[in-house]
Amino acid sequence: MVRLLKIELKKILTYKVFWILMGLYFLFLLLGILMAGFTINNWIDNLNKHSPIPFPHVTIYFFPDIWQNIAFFASIRYILILPSIVIIILITNEFTNKTIRQNIVNGMSRPEFLLSKLQLIFIISLLITFILILGTLILGMANTSGYDMTIMFAKISFAGGFFIQLFSFLVFAFFTGFLLRNTGLSIAIFTLYALIIEPVLYFILKIPKLQPNNISQFLPVNSVIRVVEYPYFPVLRKLTGLNVQEHLSLLDCAVPLIYAIVMVGIVYWVLSRKDL
Amino acid sequence: MEKVLSIQGISKKYGRIQAVDCLFIEIQKGQIFGLLGPNGSGKTTTLSILLDLVRNDAGNFEWFGKPPSKESRKRIGSVIESPNFFPYLSAVKNLKIVADIKDKPYDDIEEVLQITDLYDRRNDRFRTYSFGMKQRLAVASALLGSPDVLILDEPTNGLDPQGIAQIRDLIKRVAEKGITIILASHLLDEVQKICSHVAVLNKGKKLFDGEVRDVLAVSELLEIASTDMVQLQKAISMHPDFTSIIRSEDKWLVYFKDQIRPAEINEFLYKQGIVLTHLSERKRTLEQHFLELLRDNS
Repeated sequence: MVRLLKIELKKILTYKVFWILMGLYFLFLLLGILMAGFTINNWIDNLNKHSPIPFPHVTIYFFPDIWQNIAFFASIRYILILPSIVIIILITNEFTNKTIRQNIVNGMSRPEFLLSKLQLIFIISLLITFILILGTLILGMANTSGYDMTIMFAKISFAGGFFIQLFSFLVFAFFTGFLLRNTGLSIAIFTLYALIIEPVLYFILKIPKLQPNNISQFLPVNSVIRVVEYPYFPVLRKLTGLNVQEHLSLLDCAVPLIYAIVMVGIVYWVLSRKDL
Repeated sequence: MEKVLSIQGISKKYGRIQAVDCLFIEIQKGQIFGLLGPNGSGKTTTLSILLDLVRNDAGNFEWFGKPPSKESRKRIGSVIESPNFFPYLSAVKNLKIVADIKDKPYDDIEEVLQITDLYDRRNDRFRTYSFGMKQRLAVASALLGSPDVLILDEPTNGLDPQGIAQIRDLIKRVAEKGITIILASHLLDEVQKICSHVAVLNKGKKLFDGEVRDVLAVSELLEIASTDMVQLQKAISMHPDFTSIIRSEDKWLVYFKDQIRPAEINEFLYKQGIVLTHLSERKRTLEQHFLELLRDNS
């Protein structure tokens, strides 16, 4: 296990593309999170122009709701797409450089190759989640006055939800890259599907008369997005009457993980049968 | 003798093309075994099957007397077709990954880089290397961790004369250490210079195998003709040193195992009541011989 992880880390530690894209991801993440509060209050300002009673500004960076709010903004599909591109590059590199062949020839078994990549995805997801937790703590402490430990960590489970989102989304990306083997094609198809095709499909399926059972929520990318829903703003809740998520739902967490397991199963099946 | 590799009837089909056709080969410890055949004869497919890159449709094989596994591959150093490394990593880092996969310490890295004359460039990225250097790094990687078997697939392909000489010299030095070497090549000359044993492949089938000096020996060749060509063929096949016969226009080309004196053949045939209208000795190049081997059996 440690041997495989050591090998994977050697492959990425001095890989510039990896660090540039990860840096870009954290920049987008930071901007997204910081812009979110500003954007919402801007929206409230616009609303107040037409409203006789002015709505107060909100802050999304207070404990314990910050856990959900940050997890939500961090898992917007436009931001998730960046680390998934990194994963696609890492797996398709193995095919374009033919290093997968060399690894097998040198004495790595095919299941070990799959395991090494899954380990890497797991560790990357864990690290990003850890950084997110750290950032959330700092931002929360700076914006919440008078909190105690119970309030502070009350909704930390949403960070776990974010981990499930990230991990399964990255497995989807790995799946795409593994099957297509070509870097450019994989990135194009994955991005197109996640950002355009699935949202369109989602709205078509959502038309009630066409689809009474609300099957649209089980589309793969949407199942990931659903894990952490719209953030909890007490004011906005009253304002819009939206049904707000209070806890992670077990079913919502299970669906993307089931997708991930099926995809890993398919990769395993293909890998153990196909010529490299 | 210790058996290193035993191939029992492996076959592989790509669509309608039979790339490997029921191949049987045995390789003993210490042999320098050549797989000789033209492009597309199934050499690379065979090696790919032996290294778990390609799944065979039928048959099986054993490394070191055991079914193939990742553990057996760790004892084999291979250079398969093009050198495959991470372009953005240095030679040393690429070799460290290889050592990690093979469960070998990093101690050998310096040595294999020196043997392959890459030590001065060890910290440069792989993508900055010339083709010859890339190929030498592939050899360095194959030598890492003192393998029991070295597999080389067309190791001199695409190299300039100096590069070819360097690689051949390297193979000879490695062979002196008693490592078993399996060398695939379409160059008869290369196999003849380096190998002790050879299997000749064509269209996925094994035509011959044995010691190089037997299989690729330049047997003697005579051109003969007579008024009754059919009877001549019968008579000459009775000769104790006769190996094979081919019709070439209005003459027979006859191969013999040993050095043949034309006078002796003439006498032999005359005793059987045949008068030759034509008799001449022909010397063949190795290349011709190889092509004839392939042609006769296709």
